[in-house]
Amino acid sequence: MSIDRRKAALFGAAAAVRLLLFTSPGLPDLLTGRVEISTPVTSFKRLQEGLFLYNHNVSPYNGGVYHQAPLLLTLFSLIPSPATYPVFTNLLYISVDLSSAIALMQIAESGESGSSRLYTSPRREKRWSSVAVAAAFLFNPFTIATCVGRPTSVFTTCAILHAIAKAVNGATFHSMLAISLASYLSMYPLLLLPPLALLCYDRQKSTKRIESLVKFTAGSTTVVTGSLFVLLQMSYLITGSWEFVASTYGVQLLLPDLTPNVGLWWYFFVEMFDSFRNFFLGVFWLHLSSYVGGLTIRIRTQPLFVLTMVFGVFAIFKPYPSISDASIFLAMLPLYRHVFPLMKYTFVESSIVLYATFLGPAFYYLWIYAGSGNANFFYAITLVWSLGWSLLLADVLFAVLRDEWEVERPEMKGKEIIQI
Amino acid sequence: MRQLPSLLLLLVLSACVFASSDYHEQLVLKPLHPSLLLASFNFQSKTSWASFEQQNFRYFPRSLGQILQHANTRELHLRFSLGRWDAESWGARPWGGTREGGTGVELWAWVEADTDEEAEGRWLTLTNALSGLFCASLNFIDSTRTTRPVMSFQPAEQYSNSSSENLHLLHGTLPREVVCTENLTPFLKLLPCKGKAGISSLLDGHKLFDASWQSMSIDVTPVCVPGTSECQLQITHTIDMVLDIQRSKRPRDNPIPRPVANEDLKCDTSKPYHSHDTCYPLDTSAQEEDWSLSQIFGHSMKGSCPLANDGTDQVCINVPHARNVFASSGAAEHKDESGYSRCYEVPADQDFELALPQQEISEKVPIEQPLLYAERSFIGYGQERGGVQAILTNPSLIDAVDFVYMESLPWFMKLYLHTLKAKISNGNGKSSKDDVIQEMYYQPALDRKRGTQLEVRILIPANSTVILTYDFEKAILRYTEYPPDANRGFDIAPAVITIGNDISIRTTTLLLPLPTPDFSMPYNVIILTSTVMALGFGSVLNLLVRRFVGVDEAEKWDLRAIRFKVAAMVAALVRKFRRRRDHTE
Repeated sequence: MSIDRRKAALFGAAAAVRLLLFTSPGLPDLLTGRVEISTPVTSFKRLQEGLFLYNHNVSPYNGGVYHQAPLLLTLFSLIPSPATYPVFTNLLYISVDLSSAIALMQIAESGESGSSRLYTSPRREKRWSSVAVAAAFLFNPFTIATCVGRPTSVFTTCAILHAIAKAVNGATFHSMLAISLASYLSMYPLLLLPPLALLCYDRQKSTKRIESLVKFTAGSTTVVTGSLFVLLQMSYLITGSWEFVASTYGVQLLLPDLTPNVGLWWYFFVEMFDSFRNFFLGVFWLHLSSYVGGLTIRIRTQPLFVLTMVFGVFAIFKPYPSISDASIFLAMLPLYRHVFPLMKYTFVESSIVLYATFLGPAFYYLWIYAGSGNANFFYAITLVWSLGWSLLLADVLFAVLRDEWEVERPEMKGKEIIQI
Repeated sequence: MRQLPSLLLLLVLSACVFASSDYHEQLVLKPLHPSLLLASFNFQSKTSWASFEQQNFRYFPRSLGQILQHANTRELHLRFSLGRWDAESWGARPWGGTREGGTGVELWAWVEADTDEEAEGRWLTLTNALSGLFCASLNFIDSTRTTRPVMSFQPAEQYSNSSSENLHLLHGTLPREVVCTENLTPFLKLLPCKGKAGISSLLDGHKLFDASWQSMSIDVTPVCVPGTSECQLQITHTIDMVLDIQRSKRPRDNPIPRPVANEDLKCDTSKPYHSHDTCYPLDTSAQEEDWSLSQIFGHSMKGSCPLANDGTDQVCINVPHARNVFASSGAAEHKDESGYSRCYEVPADQDFELALPQQEISEKVPIEQPLLYAERSFIGYGQERGGVQAILTNPSLIDAVDFVYMESLPWFMKLYLHTLKAKISNGNGKSSKDDVIQEMYYQPALDRKRGTQLEVRILIPANSTVILTYDFEKAILRYTEYPPDANRGFDIAPAVITIGNDISIRTTTLLLPLPTPDFSMPYNVIILTSTVMALGFGSVLNLLVRRFVGVDEAEKWDLRAIRFKVAAMVAALVRKFRRRRDHTE
């Protein structure tokens, strides 16, 4: 009973903070306009433009402004227009955030991070309660800013977290449906399929187990393919043609829109000469996809950790990253509280991230508004931001691998080790 | 006797030729206030369809005619413009604004083609050929600067339905183009008298491009006798310019403005502080400046063009009858009954000169009030986003105005149509948000392929002002897409306002500064980003591939260990050497 009260208090406080920020004048529009929060494929203002065109029988995909999924148009046509009655949109975004927190609590309660089917950490007793994990997510400034800025990446975040929650509860079919919805909305969650399939396989309910991994993955892939097909067909029916494919997924692949964001891609492709563009686009996508295979194979025993790592990789190396990708990585990180003592550079990492968070908007202002700085200032901050997160990523990977290694070499606890 | 029928036939034929192709030219001079002169050169010639198709060019320029045939163009309008028409001081535009274009180059044509792609191909042929003919970079009018207006431009001839299906209207603008003498020279070469006689002899690049506003236009339109299929092709060349009289009177070999000598200053002596070293400029608007044709244009007119033989007077001047105008001898003067215009018939062989002395005259030619005042500007600040505001004022106290406002914007101005607002406020200060927009046509932009096309039909009641605003976002372009002077900005084509069939108003162009990357750093950006990616990838790869061992279990590579190893290797070598020496001995 007390846990339910704590949960209710947490959710109430989170909703209250968000409602308060939504009603403060000008703040939602200010945050919607910030490049750290809104990217060309998730911006709320572009969603409003797409809605307007859709409601006036002009195809939103025949233009270069709207690059988001057609089902979002249908969803937002059901609620009253954000311009006239913003409260409905605000409530929608708050409920999506709370729903993501519920999924996160389910993942934390399952204890998968401490003991998976193939591995049990000796340190797993040191963990935070699910309420604390959800609080860390809900009161993270990145999450709150993402909610008030209203990008559509919150729907992808919610779908991914629900996919993982369903996986740890053994509901494979629902998990695959959720991940295909997330892939439909943004393209990159498709890369989460291998570790998610492994997680589902590990956490299958003992009643109807499929022992063969190959058969299991084949089945899950079929479910994902089928549901993606259904979603794409529905989009075709909504928009009347297939031009939305080039406008949504083609934009992520080919990067025609070079609006600044916190990632590494935009400035690289601004300065790239045309004859090398396609080659480097291929290299960058290959680089992004290459992490999944290696991580899944090496850390087969902890698929939930592989998912966490891949979130971190996405936050740094995605084509249009934003702080909402950083917030989902930071959401999953408290599940590995038990390996925090093994991390070596926590102070440096947190300083770098804070440094980049505060200087980024300042240097952007200097470039775009004051005119006294140039693009290199903001670019340097994106480099620092990426370096900070990569350092954190490598550090937490080291911590988990060392934790795993110490099960076979318990006498090395506390001793210095090196890699060869 | 046998020669008579052939002679008669020749006479008849020549009469037909003369009747079917005629040429006339006229110069209209109209002083604007203060001390400005609007000079309007108009050259018009016609040719029959038959002679056009048989490539029998007489007054119609062959170079242009062949381009039109090659590109299957039925109707062509080409404009070169510079400067700004000050509607508040100068009144309505000459020719109702139909013979001018936006700053830079503007081109629209009706092209015959069966499909859209074929029309695009023919348009490309047309722009490239015209670019060569006029020494202008018209070849830069590609698909990103071309639109197909729906409501704004009407063809001169209302074509029958069967032929209008395969007629495509294409409109292209190049606001960045600087118009100068190299565009005037081919223009003059298209005229029958080629700038050597007649009014075209007054046209000089130094004076024309010194004007406050100037516009050169070519219109090729078919003119059909209604009811029959008899058609002629009419080509109209127009050069309009607003010359500053004082600036033009500056001699060509001494163009630098020097301070006027003390004695020549026109001072207002009624001021209390007037003295030998203090001078308040005298308001000379009541006084008309003195000027003459050779002072304004640099030389007098070299007779009249002998090919313009249809009896119209070549030079007209719009001044009140009370104004003294002296013309050279041999020119016959005809005063108009309206009281404000007189025309001169110029003799063919003599130079023609027109001189107006200084005169105090209170009667002025009434200025025609324009139907609509339009101005457009950017609002907002910063290089991330901005807004456009168009202020459209209807000065008339009784008539409402129904017009079409057309914007053709480049693709890197990402328009947010849901932010388009029209606010109306009438002269009494009341403002309302009524629906002033009757109809709207919008085609969104596609990155790097197509620009935005927005056409809005607005009905503005009498004595009201409509303020149209919308937001846009600025895109950052690729390294190679910036022009050499990237920080100057990009020119945005003017908005075209069409009222009915015969009035057209254009706003000024806008200069859009876009955020620029650092152009000196492509290599540095590539290596820095690659370094960060390599650091991330490398550290993760290292952790995944290598295995952990305790510090003391690993092979040591410190200095003592290396010294040991090196000493051991040296000792082994020395031993081997000694053994071999012992062996050989």
